[in-house]
Amino acid sequence: MSYLLKTLTKKEEIDRIIRDTIDEVLVLRFGRCSDDVCLQHDEILAKSVRDVSKFAKVALVDVDSEEVQVYVKYFDITLFPSTIFFFNAHHMKLDSGTADHTKWVGAFHIKQDFIDVVEAIYRGAMKGKLIVQCPVPPERIPKYQLLYKDV
Amino acid sequence: MKKPSKKSEIEFCKVCRLHHDQGSRHKYFPRHKSSLSSLLDRFRSKIADVRFFLKNPSVLRPQEQSQNRVWCVFCDEDIVELGSSFACSKAINHFASSDHLKNIKQFLSKNGPAMDCVDDFRISEADVAKWEKKCQSLGNEDASSFKGSCGQLSGTSNDIHTKLAFETMDRIEKVPAHHINSYNSNDVMPLQYNTNEYQISLSEIPGVTHYGSYLNMDASHLPLCHVAGNGFGKHSIPCSSKDYSGNGNYCTQENYQVSQDKKQIEGSYNPPGVVGMSSISSSHSTDAGGNVHSGAPPPWLVANDGNVSNIQLNQSDMACVQAKVPRKNCNLNPNRVGAAWAERRKIEIEMEKSGHATNSNIDADWLPNFGRVWQSGTRKESRKEFEKEKRKLVKTESVSTESEPVKIQPYISKRARRESGE
Repeated sequence: MSYLLKTLTKKEEIDRIIRDTIDEVLVLRFGRCSDDVCLQHDEILAKSVRDVSKFAKVALVDVDSEEVQVYVKYFDITLFPSTIFFFNAHHMKLDSGTADHTKWVGAFHIKQDFIDVVEAIYRGAMKGKLIVQCPVPPERIPKYQLLYKDV
Repeated sequence: MKKPSKKSEIEFCKVCRLHHDQGSRHKYFPRHKSSLSSLLDRFRSKIADVRFFLKNPSVLRPQEQSQNRVWCVFCDEDIVELGSSFACSKAINHFASSDHLKNIKQFLSKNGPAMDCVDDFRISEADVAKWEKKCQSLGNEDASSFKGSCGQLSGTSNDIHTKLAFETMDRIEKVPAHHINSYNSNDVMPLQYNTNEYQISLSEIPGVTHYGSYLNMDASHLPLCHVAGNGFGKHSIPCSSKDYSGNGNYCTQENYQVSQDKKQIEGSYNPPGVVGMSSISSSHSTDAGGNVHSGAPPPWLVANDGNVSNIQLNQSDMACVQAKVPRKNCNLNPNRVGAAWAERRKIEIEMEKSGHATNSNIDADWLPNFGRVWQSGTRKESRKEFEKEKRKLVKTESVSTESEPVKIQPYISKRARRESGE
């Protein structure tokens, strides 16, 4: 768990942060603090939060909390860590060549990848785009399999 | 067959200001040609200024002598108008001299281009003669009103200051010219004086402000410093006792020399530990409010009684906030994602801050705009779908807890039931 980033455990808190982040990208990480990949991901986020502070906010969401389960279902989160991007309470999609465009699954390899992604989302959002192309090269994008209803 | 390129020694090109081993081929390279043309253009503009004064000679005041200087690129020397009564007189004499012509030819042969532009960079003797005649006529007119000129005045004032000025200027003129020249080697000389010495010397003695004005003066005012130095009684540094090797620098960096003198005079007055810093007078600070060390609250919290949620913005504050908001808006793209929502939300936040009654109770079932993974249709539809699923889930949960345990029976088809019924 990163001590520099806010950890949210209640739906109210998540709602409040989504509604209070105006004209900035909101990065919500859904994961567990005990997971290794989550820890690595949190480390990258914590290091980069200051660099993107002018146009982005980062918060962590603990998926083990009960109140958060509704969001876990709503956002179709099955793999951890999952990072979802919002701009002005609107969800921003990211086309990274994977099966799921609604979120970023896995950890970022380097700080710069995260900063590039957030910047791409900000630029797209400012232009009115709801989906943006991922600037990270394919070798650094974590691969995964999406299951549809356990198929 | 290509000739193998000769490797010549590394030389320094004054024009391009870089080292190269291209030997004599270097002057034909396009980069060298372009930097040479820009250099010569700049020098041409300087010569044009000097030629202006050649045609219109004007009297040079002593205060402006130090500012009136020209660097001759061909001879590598700085021409300072010290002790000259007319503007650019030394420059004019220099540009007309035979040494300068020789240097021009040498420069052009070494650095190219062709030698036909030699006359652009020198002044002919006929022009100089005309100029001298004009100066003489001008000098005779202004003889009575001209002060401080060593050549013209004859006992108009018995001022000790101007007398000493004449003495020093005579001495300076006697200094051999080669001391003013730069060093012949192409190596960069180390800095002999701090470039911020002037500022250090100024700031070290904030109280002695009258010296600040003197530092801008030229040689004629140097004796004042000397006199005042005697007044202080600490060190007297007569101008004549300075090293002549230093004088070369003096002519070009006389401000630094003056400040050095001042430093020597005022050396004992250096406040300890203060280098180039001015101290804030303590009279206006922290007399009533207390400070960080005394544990007083910061000024921005004092007005708010330390509780952010109870802030009540005044009319003026509201106006400020409202004035700020449109300023921010005009920079943001109105077509950005969620623009309308953002505007509404900003207004809501301001209303909340101002203490108006707001429906700030967020609906527990509020969900953000989200496009689901397996969605088909708009995001609103996906949200509705999710809410339906949620309701179903809740219903099934409630149903399962309330109802009796379901009896599981095998499936009997309609036909079988019909047949069994018949």
